[in-house]
Amino acid sequence: MSLSPENPPVAIDAADCRTGLGDAAATWRGLLADRCALTLLPVLGPDGGDAVPLALLAGRTMAETAPPNWLAHLDSLAAAIPSEPWGMPGFPVYVTSSNFGVGSLYAFHRSQDVSHLPHATPAAAVEVLRRRFGWGENVTIFSHACVSAHLGLIAAARALAHGTAERALVFSFDFISPFVAGGFHALKILNGGMPAPYADRPVGSIGLGDGAAFAVLRRGRGEFGLAAHSLHNEMQHFTANDPAGAGFAACLTPVLAAAAGRRVWIKGHGTGTLDSGRLEAEAFGRLQPKSPLVSWKGSLGHTLEAVRGGQTPGTTGSSGPCFGATVAIPAFANGAYDGVVLASNAFGGAHAACLLTHD
Amino acid sequence: MGDPLKLRLKELIIRTLKLEGVQAGDLRDDAPLFGSGLDLDSIDALELVVSLEKEYGIKIASSEESRQALASIDHLAEFIRTRAAKERVGS
Repeated sequence: MSLSPENPPVAIDAADCRTGLGDAAATWRGLLADRCALTLLPVLGPDGGDAVPLALLAGRTMAETAPPNWLAHLDSLAAAIPSEPWGMPGFPVYVTSSNFGVGSLYAFHRSQDVSHLPHATPAAAVEVLRRRFGWGENVTIFSHACVSAHLGLIAAARALAHGTAERALVFSFDFISPFVAGGFHALKILNGGMPAPYADRPVGSIGLGDGAAFAVLRRGRGEFGLAAHSLHNEMQHFTANDPAGAGFAACLTPVLAAAAGRRVWIKGHGTGTLDSGRLEAEAFGRLQPKSPLVSWKGSLGHTLEAVRGGQTPGTTGSSGPCFGATVAIPAFANGAYDGVVLASNAFGGAHAACLLTHD
Repeated sequence: MGDPLKLRLKELIIRTLKLEGVQAGDLRDDAPLFGSGLDLDSIDALELVVSLEKEYGIKIASSEESRQALASIDHLAEFIRTRAAKERVGS
């Protein structure tokens, strides 16, 4: 599915985020200074286990409290959202997460303490947020692993382009829990190594991080636009990509077509498994050999800061050699570019990409 | 006479993955465990790794190491022998 460039333009009015490095501006500055938010922490939080690369928001722990300790961090983020009748007709809210409150579900499973249940499913967790932030009922929930936030952005852009919304809010969050970290660790793709996106090495590891972000979109032109989108699912295998990288190419191709005539750099996913990083870097390098490819987590907030600041952070954690010929390890000046392709991929062979423009 | 470790590994695989109608003698030592007639997938690999770690008290560190260890019964037996020897030396 792609949103063609002849649709009405969609502008990004506001965006911010919270990561292990701080808000969007602090995250951009931290990445530019080659800071990595990941540290080796016990995979099961208070229950210990092997040390794996995790990035928690400042002051947060993986203890499963009721209510969950991530709510206060969402309060801080929500306070920065421009005021509108969110959740009312014409002002839809799209809430996305990979995991919502699954940590609370696991805590209930272990303790039988019902005070965990109000946050333990996607619908329940979002209902808590809806009431907490005073949103109306026009709230849609998306969850599709690492492309969840992209799905929210695309759904919001489509609603605006088709005239069913005046402004749209995309609100995304994921907080690490022992359940999620333990699952990735059981698959051995989260292990004791530090991530090195796109690095050509024999053993890889993903990292997991807390993150939350919002974006407000409207119809029309602005400082930044979302000019095109693409979604693709390989339907190849639950945990493996097409070995030739066909899924990466299929998703990126329509977005690159919409970017014709622009100079773009690409913020890829990169932080997946060793194999998916290789396939991504090789496919993107083949399709767009003149566009530098970088990877750091998050899709929008600190990307806007990078464009405003004229400096794109490099691929933090990697030192080369890398798969593909276009991976940018050091930071670079981006003043000569007028577009950014944001790409992500996820479990199940899902891919998403969008074109961010700034004129 | 067959290798008793390899026989135990075959029995563990059959038991863990509930391979109905498969006998230990049906599994060749050098045949690929994945991408062959057993039709195993990555979730099967996850279950096998958990069972192997419990049964033999070993740690498999990464998905790449897991892939190498699970290449065949021969590879798996060699991996367990090497790892067990290292852990005895280290203990």
